[in-house]
Amino acid sequence: MKYFLPPEAQRAVESIRRADLVVGIPSYNNAQTIGHVVRAAYAGLNKYFPQLSGVVINSDGGSKDNTREAVLSTHVDDNHLLMLSTPMLPVNRLSFPYHGIPGKGSAFRMIFQMAKELNAKAVAVVDSDLRSITPEWIDLLLRPIALAGYDFVAPYYHRHKYDGTITNSIVYPTIRTLYGTRIRQPIGGEFGVSAPLIARYLERDDWETDVARFGIDIWMSTIAVAEGFRVCQSFLGAKLHDAKDPGSDLSAMLQQVVGSVFQLMQQYAGVWRGRKGSQPAELFGFRFDVGLDPIAVNLDRMTQVFKKGSAELGELWEMALQRQTLQELRAVSHAVCNEGKPLHFDDDLWARIVLDFACAVRKHPVAQGQLIRSLTPLYIGRVASFVQDTRDMVSDQVEQKIEELCLCFENLKPYLIRQWDGLPQLAGVSAGATNTQMAGESARMEVN
Amino acid sequence: MIQTLEQVLQGVLDRLQHHITTYVPSLVAALIIMTGAWIVAVLARWLIHRIVKGLSIDKFLRQSGVAYMIDRSGRLRATNVVAETAYWGILVGGVLAGLSVFNTDLTTQIIQGFVFLLPKLFMAGLILLAGMWLGQFIGRSTLVWAVNEGLPSPRRIAAAVRVIIMFVAVVVAADHINFARNIFLAAFIILVGGAVLGASLAFGVGAGNSVRRYLDDRRESHDDKTPEPSLWSHL
Repeated sequence: MKYFLPPEAQRAVESIRRADLVVGIPSYNNAQTIGHVVRAAYAGLNKYFPQLSGVVINSDGGSKDNTREAVLSTHVDDNHLLMLSTPMLPVNRLSFPYHGIPGKGSAFRMIFQMAKELNAKAVAVVDSDLRSITPEWIDLLLRPIALAGYDFVAPYYHRHKYDGTITNSIVYPTIRTLYGTRIRQPIGGEFGVSAPLIARYLERDDWETDVARFGIDIWMSTIAVAEGFRVCQSFLGAKLHDAKDPGSDLSAMLQQVVGSVFQLMQQYAGVWRGRKGSQPAELFGFRFDVGLDPIAVNLDRMTQVFKKGSAELGELWEMALQRQTLQELRAVSHAVCNEGKPLHFDDDLWARIVLDFACAVRKHPVAQGQLIRSLTPLYIGRVASFVQDTRDMVSDQVEQKIEELCLCFENLKPYLIRQWDGLPQLAGVSAGATNTQMAGESARMEVN
Repeated sequence: MIQTLEQVLQGVLDRLQHHITTYVPSLVAALIIMTGAWIVAVLARWLIHRIVKGLSIDKFLRQSGVAYMIDRSGRLRATNVVAETAYWGILVGGVLAGLSVFNTDLTTQIIQGFVFLLPKLFMAGLILLAGMWLGQFIGRSTLVWAVNEGLPSPRRIAAAVRVIIMFVAVVVAADHINFARNIFLAAFIILVGGAVLGASLAFGVGAGNSVRRYLDDRRESHDDKTPEPSLWSHL
């Protein structure tokens, strides 16, 4: 379905006519922080791309705190940028409210459409609540596209070991296992995108699904890796941003992100079935260690959530999980609830839970929302287990743990394919067993 | 006297003979029709099992959740449903055809009543099935929501939702076939009215202070705008 820009955005496009680079900033009530982001974007374009024309576009979701005024009135002082050459073209700054379903996806759609009509070579999108963004981020997100021929630049951050747990425990291992490309932060929030990839995004017709809300990041990453666009990563340092609304509904967020992963998994079944193993995506930028904000974790509360889920959601978990996975989950639950042992999900069990849910969502499309929401207590239980396991570990050790989890997912790919095809599992299914026992079977399938 | 007795006995024998000659052929014919119907029903079921693969219907039953509603294991197959429906349909048709052989007022009434009621019964069955499906679906959604919100007794809340939806379906189905319409309607109104009144009283009397505290807390936290540390900064 063709998307039409709001009239004022269309007029702005007709007035500017052309821009080489676009920096898009989606926002909703971010007046406090967006000025800093606009300054960084403006400085980044002036300092690192002085010979190219650039536009900073704010796509706003109807903020009530004067976010748009903050964008347009932000003062940018070029004198302190220490630029090597004087910018030849001014950087335009625009701010418009987007139309459609409220959410980041709709904001991106307007930015991408404007970029397309401006014939932009590359677009960078950055969140409006960032406190750690610097002009270098713009360079790192745009340069691989503008000068090195990449189509998609994913961010690579230093994050606290307990930050980004949906990424670490579900999204990163799943995307890597399915599509064979290691994008460490597939739902990072900051991306660089080439003109051909933008054209591909805009021609799709699923903008008004969960993509329009939290699902946009995973949607963009998945399309890029699944459809064979050239993908790389840029190291951006630490990502510090405003705390999320504590009242936000975790299960809704999980449904949108994980639901998008599973939906796209169905669309690209023909692609991921044929991919084996995984390859790292090229990483640009100078890596360095940074201090990170501490993250408070309430293990007792998480354990209670898991216990409650175990006691009440058996009916749905029975629908979603394979018999062996369910038995092992019940053993974990029994150990926690009846024997008072600490919560422990091993990697293999967790990977099978996620993959079983992916297959169950395909098998029961009507109950898809219920199934994914019923994953919430399991996810929280897994996070609690991860927190306990990594309590005394430093960042590199935690990264190694995540790598082990990913390998576990990858080893279970034949298990996933058998289940996807409705074939019975071989005896003694586990990541290790699957790896050896199913190797022949897997090879046969891939040849097919 | 002996002559009278002979006449009476002769009369009894004549009537018996009349009844036998009148009804036994009908009974035999009815039995033959019913047996024939039974044989056809068994054959039809056997044939349908072999002919109808029903793959897409099976998929629909599984994906829509109807299969799991009727059989918890989800192993319900369209072939079984079609075959059993054909079997019972033919059998009932055979019984009705058999009864029609007698050609009495009673059998005619039974057959007419049944034929007129059949479409309504079918619709009522569909309404009940839809109610079961909806009750299970919304009940399950409620269960997941209640668990994720940390509400007490989520399963009871979900069960209550299921019962209410099923009850509504029963009331609608009963109304459709005009069966004890007033009783069901009155029971429904009394139950819903009673539940609302009971909940209001319980809320007003028992939880008034809690609600006030909760609203005050919300207002204060809204005024302060100092968010508590989030447990879920995951993305």
